[in-house]
Amino acid sequence: MGRRKKIVQECETLMDKPENIRNIAIAAHVDHGKTTLTDNLLAGAGMIADEGEATKLMMDTEEDEQERGITIDAANVSMTHEYEGTNHLINLIDTPGHVDFGGDVTRAMRAVDGALVVVDAVEGAMPQTETVLRQALREGVKPTLFINKVDRLISELQEGPEEMQERLLSVIHDVNELIRGMTKEMDDIEDWTVSVEEGTVGFGSALYKWGVSMPSMQRTGMDFGEIMELERADKRQELHERTPLSDVVLDMVCEHFPNPVDAQPRRVPRIWRGDADSELAEDMALVNEDGEVVFMVTDISMDPHAGEIATGRVFSGTLEKGQELYVSGTAGKNRLQSVGLFMGGEREEVERVPAGNIAAVTGLKDAIAGSTVSSVEMTPFESIEHISEPVITKSVEAQSMDDLPKLIETLQQVAKEDPTINIEINEDTGEHLISGQGELHLEVVTQRIERNQGIPVNTGEPIVVYREAPQTASREVEGISPNRHNRFYITVEPLDDDIVETIKRGEASMDMPELERREALQEAGLDKDTSQEVEHIHGSNIFIDDTKGIQHLNETMELVIEGLEEALNDGPLANEPVQGSLIRLHDARLHEDAIHRGPAQVIPAVRHAVHNALIDAEIRLLEPIQDVRIDVPNDHMGAASGEIQGRRGRVDDMYQEGDLMVVEGIAPVDEMIGFSSDIRSATEGRASWNTENAGFRVMADNLQPEKIMEIRERKGMKTELPEAVDYF
Amino acid sequence: MLTFVGLGLYDERSITLQGRDALQEADRVFAERYTSKLVGASFEDVEAAHGVGIELRTREGVEQDPEPILAAAERGDAVFCTAGDPMISTTHVDLRLRAHERGIDTRIVHGTTAAAAASSLTGLQNYRFGKATTLPFESSHGGDGVPGSVIETIEANRERGLHTLVFLDIKVDDDREDYMTGGEAASLLAADWEATAPAVVVARAGSPEPLVRGDRLTELAGEDFGDPLHLLVIPGELHYVERDALVELAGLPADAGEDLLV
Repeated sequence: MGRRKKIVQECETLMDKPENIRNIAIAAHVDHGKTTLTDNLLAGAGMIADEGEATKLMMDTEEDEQERGITIDAANVSMTHEYEGTNHLINLIDTPGHVDFGGDVTRAMRAVDGALVVVDAVEGAMPQTETVLRQALREGVKPTLFINKVDRLISELQEGPEEMQERLLSVIHDVNELIRGMTKEMDDIEDWTVSVEEGTVGFGSALYKWGVSMPSMQRTGMDFGEIMELERADKRQELHERTPLSDVVLDMVCEHFPNPVDAQPRRVPRIWRGDADSELAEDMALVNEDGEVVFMVTDISMDPHAGEIATGRVFSGTLEKGQELYVSGTAGKNRLQSVGLFMGGEREEVERVPAGNIAAVTGLKDAIAGSTVSSVEMTPFESIEHISEPVITKSVEAQSMDDLPKLIETLQQVAKEDPTINIEINEDTGEHLISGQGELHLEVVTQRIERNQGIPVNTGEPIVVYREAPQTASREVEGISPNRHNRFYITVEPLDDDIVETIKRGEASMDMPELERREALQEAGLDKDTSQEVEHIHGSNIFIDDTKGIQHLNETMELVIEGLEEALNDGPLANEPVQGSLIRLHDARLHEDAIHRGPAQVIPAVRHAVHNALIDAEIRLLEPIQDVRIDVPNDHMGAASGEIQGRRGRVDDMYQEGDLMVVEGIAPVDEMIGFSSDIRSATEGRASWNTENAGFRVMADNLQPEKIMEIRERKGMKTELPEAVDYF
Repeated sequence: MLTFVGLGLYDERSITLQGRDALQEADRVFAERYTSKLVGASFEDVEAAHGVGIELRTREGVEQDPEPILAAAERGDAVFCTAGDPMISTTHVDLRLRAHERGIDTRIVHGTTAAAAASSLTGLQNYRFGKATTLPFESSHGGDGVPGSVIETIEANRERGLHTLVFLDIKVDDDREDYMTGGEAASLLAADWEATAPAVVVARAGSPEPLVRGDRLTELAGEDFGDPLHLLVIPGELHYVERDALVELAGLPADAGEDLLV
């Protein structure tokens, strides 16, 4: 542990020099080698033993991660690296590449200023490459590129120098096209494309631990020819010793990624909408370690000894044990019990962590991933919304009644750690629902409940989550309260896709100042008058109050909204959430006395009116769909495309890429359950594939009644539709 | 025939003789207890005292499924009874209208009601009351504190020199019986409106021992007025006889009375 202690000490000295700090994330498509690369860097920095091939991945600390061979949680580590005579502190986050865990990537990007994007030389830029780039750029995080698995081009594919150069240049070209497209409309970002000449691109093999870049070749005098010779001759150890991957990459990190002092003035306006002229804004821009504390939590994890650990970025001030800090969205303060850094899966407690660093603290019991924690009350950071909504649900039930309370607690903890998980607790039946990004996502979560918490559970079959959405404008519908002394007049119309997207991305919400929300909605296409009367946004639905001067409506509005939310949470067709509707309240007649227009009157009246209006607007069931990409040898192409078409899917494109055929298309998530094993057997295991959630799509009319009945039956609802639903 | 019968204010003997006749002559008797309740007697006491069987209907039963009541009224004589007067501070005119839609004759047998008791017990003239209002429990209006409309009503009345009768919320269902007390109401109004405004609490109107107590809201806020039901009156300007009545009958401190004297 002597060496470890020394590194911790080094880190502590460097923490106070923000110019020498780099906060970075490593992100890539699944299996492109992020974690292997990260372990290389750790070994290079002396954090773990440098022993032959990286066989046991240090960064995959969970048992299931090592078993599955993929990273599931974003993992943090701090290390030091000397570059041009100056010692640097590098705080690094390794992120998952599998699409189901995209929420972790989004959150990690909030904490860092640079993203090392890893791309497999053989596969090239893949769908998740695009996604992680978008996640990074949206947060104002600067990318560099590392092309991994170059050894395979040389040894496996036996490519010559020219072929290889062509392939590498085309990878760089593809990545730059993506960066260019995504930053086109970002005024605060200059040219962030990567280039070999500038040294923002590295090549190498994380497996054999060698790497090169233009600056490293100039320094070591090794050129590609020599590298190919050594690689072909299987002299990989020599290659590693002469041009170690960690040096090349860490040099690139120190040289090309911005330090917090450079990054924060640019990033803070992107992610924080508070008063730009305030002292707080200045503290954050200057990375002022003596300023007020501003800490953004990007990750919550459980430690069996220390309890709940909140990891995140210190934007201003200095975190110290014993501080009483505000947590956004909750009342009162939390007391910091300890302050620390992550050193390869383990936390090291330190005295203090100043602005510009990534810290791991305990004691913030009210914080969730995404909380803003501060020493003064402040406007919280923009919520870190991950774009994908949950598409799959599974029921979880404790096998033993005794575990019931513990299971509920664990589920709540799970939701706190991973905001892309939705938990519905049902204390009556004990059958709780967890919803997430995909089959694997839910499998991992339930396995962790069983393994880490020791709670044996029964889980149901995965069930797809549906949506309901109106298709046309309704007539004005009247909702009457049970005592018949209150009436509400409501219409519903579909919202444009652009507006729905804007809301889903969190670019227009009730949390933001009214003026900004109005502008965002107008920009998405909502007309000016309507945008000024927005009373509420729920899910991706907008509620407009078009009434004028109705007495007592003000104090009844909260109940109106409760009724509205109930109606939208459980749509009229199958109790699935309603999306994309514009609901207008045109008129209301209210009883004089508050007691006769209470919750028991107003909520059902509004709920009925909204449901009837939705039905009049020909509401239909929407199902989640996925983009599917299959890479497969030519002779299995038919079988592969058949797997898409046989699942109510559509093949959009087929093209040659290298020696493989690529099949691209879309298919409903419902039909994709079990796809993994089917495609494997259909192609004799020769296909690799990728799926990505691609939103919701209206189901064909001939499939609607059957699916609706299936869901209603599953939920124990009446198996007949309201009479007014006569349009299927 | 559907006869609406008011059971009066307090117990099984608060009903009028006409009302008792209607109960006894009816084929079926229905009752609800969500708008008000006899606190001095249970429905069993009423049944025993008048020799009738009473079918208790819930709020949902009356509002959303009035069919059994209407059907009984169509076939024979049905009585629907409530504490107080059947049409004062209730929404039952709706039930009466539904009966008329079906061609059912209706009749009303009055009972005495809190609105009358508030005036007669306090000595405040019924001519000088403005709009009445109900102070709901926080849970029944979906907000915190006192709803704006309650304060608006009191202030609008005061502006015109009028008294305000404030009914206090009751929550009665299978799980619980909650009655807002005069003390709770005074402390809500003291916090959200005027702490030193004079007010009068009336408790157990119609019982052998009703209580009438006048003081400033802050003083009333801490007091225990005993068993339900309670109601609150916020006096407007006082005629000197009203002032004398409040000081003498409700124990209102003389200086509080002077404040309001015309």
